[in-house]
Amino acid sequence: MPIAMISALYSVPVSLGVNRVIKGARIEHVCGNPALGSERDRAYRLQVVRTALQSLTRAISTPLLLDPTQEAT
Amino acid sequence: MRLEVGTFPVRDVVFGSRTRWDDGILTIDRGPVLDRIRRDNRILDVDLVLARPGESLRIVNVRDVIEPRVKVRGPGVTYPGICGRSIETAGSGVTHRLSGVAIVESANVVFYDGNDGWLDRFIDLAGPGAEAAPCGSLLNLCLVLKVTDEISLEERNHAAHGAALDLSDTLARVTTDLTPPSKEVFELAPCDSSLPKVVYITCLRSPQHYSGSLTASWMSVYGLTRLTPPWHLHPNELLDGAISGPASSHSATTSWTMVNNPIVLDLYGDHGRQINFAGCIAIRTRWSEQSEKELTALQAAKLAQLLGASGAVITYDAGGNDFIEVIHTVRACERLGIKTVLLTTETPPEAEGPPLLEPLAEAVAIVSTGIGRPSLERLALPSPARVLGGSELMATASKPWERIPSNAPMDFHRWSDHYGLGCESAFEY
Repeated sequence: MPIAMISALYSVPVSLGVNRVIKGARIEHVCGNPALGSERDRAYRLQVVRTALQSLTRAISTPLLLDPTQEAT
Repeated sequence: MRLEVGTFPVRDVVFGSRTRWDDGILTIDRGPVLDRIRRDNRILDVDLVLARPGESLRIVNVRDVIEPRVKVRGPGVTYPGICGRSIETAGSGVTHRLSGVAIVESANVVFYDGNDGWLDRFIDLAGPGAEAAPCGSLLNLCLVLKVTDEISLEERNHAAHGAALDLSDTLARVTTDLTPPSKEVFELAPCDSSLPKVVYITCLRSPQHYSGSLTASWMSVYGLTRLTPPWHLHPNELLDGAISGPASSHSATTSWTMVNNPIVLDLYGDHGRQINFAGCIAIRTRWSEQSEKELTALQAAKLAQLLGASGAVITYDAGGNDFIEVIHTVRACERLGIKTVLLTTETPPEAEGPPLLEPLAEAVAIVSTGIGRPSLERLALPSPARVLGGSELMATASKPWERIPSNAPMDFHRWSDHYGLGCESAFEY
């Protein structure tokens, strides 16, 4: 079963061989950023979660480390 | 920077009519010493009890262990910056120390409200617990404080640790006009340019993340506990206690450990012989973002490179995600061609993970201090006959709400040896 891991400290899952790692923001708010204000924070949160979900549908041959702000979601 | 450290060994402590050091005996006139502490009206109650190694005694709510050290000549003070002490650069002049004795700060004051801010440290003076930790072989002067709860938590911390440092000054000052039985000069004299330059990188957890405060009480650098960029320190500053402060967790570093840091002393001993001790770098750990952690690592490595280092020894003082800064510093140093040795504990086998949280390939030279106990079995601590500092303690390190009586036997003991002070051999491990 494919697993996507969203992590603020993503170097750890990457070095441990997790196949689909999505960069989170900070430990205090992994999937969001309250500093953006509620509307843009929501958009960012959707970006993070959609990146994670979409990664599950990708066939991969090497581990993925994805930055939600760089992905088209 | 030239620092002369005069050592006054203490082989016993007695309570008597005049506070003085004489031929290895430290006499303490308890009345005036305690009155002085009571002058701070934030301290509701105070007691000073001597605990000798081998006694069946446990001290709980331990916040710090402090070696009495005082500046007798030259600029600045020992343990600078913390609790309002002078921030003048330490590490030169003359410092006197009382060896073989330590002040154990025990108080009813947590460090901050939040994870790991609670008091979970205790010291056993007899049994396996005493063998594991260096405090078990020191004369422990337990300063048991009760601080008022009508002030802020940060002020309570200030009062408790300030009282312990004041006691350290009072005791060490009796040696001011005396000639030390032995003294050592610490100076990084110019040496053979072919000797490889080695730096010591010490990684220190910051409480900023868990406490949400820039000024939470903790192991500090010149009194600062907040997340800061790397510090460049002369080893003499460490010997004068520039890195000092109370901290929680059973295996946290103590102020005593940092002024007696075996890495610093060993590198100093080798200076001019096998290496050129190029200096110390202190980084704070527990940044809460990946790029901040990597930035600290890259900047520490850059600083080492600017100091001309071709080798580095790295230690750290707390586990968990603090380790990410540490291992990335190893990687950053190695990538700059600085051969790096990491001194570390390992996760015990029952934790079922890798021995290191993030095993990066660049970490090729690792010295392990073990898993914190001599064997794979749990290290059982017997019930002590006597307890100081409180009637209950945390049952486990991570559940502060679970309390047991202070004199309960513990079925598990684990002490992280961060600096190589342990006594177990490789065969035992």
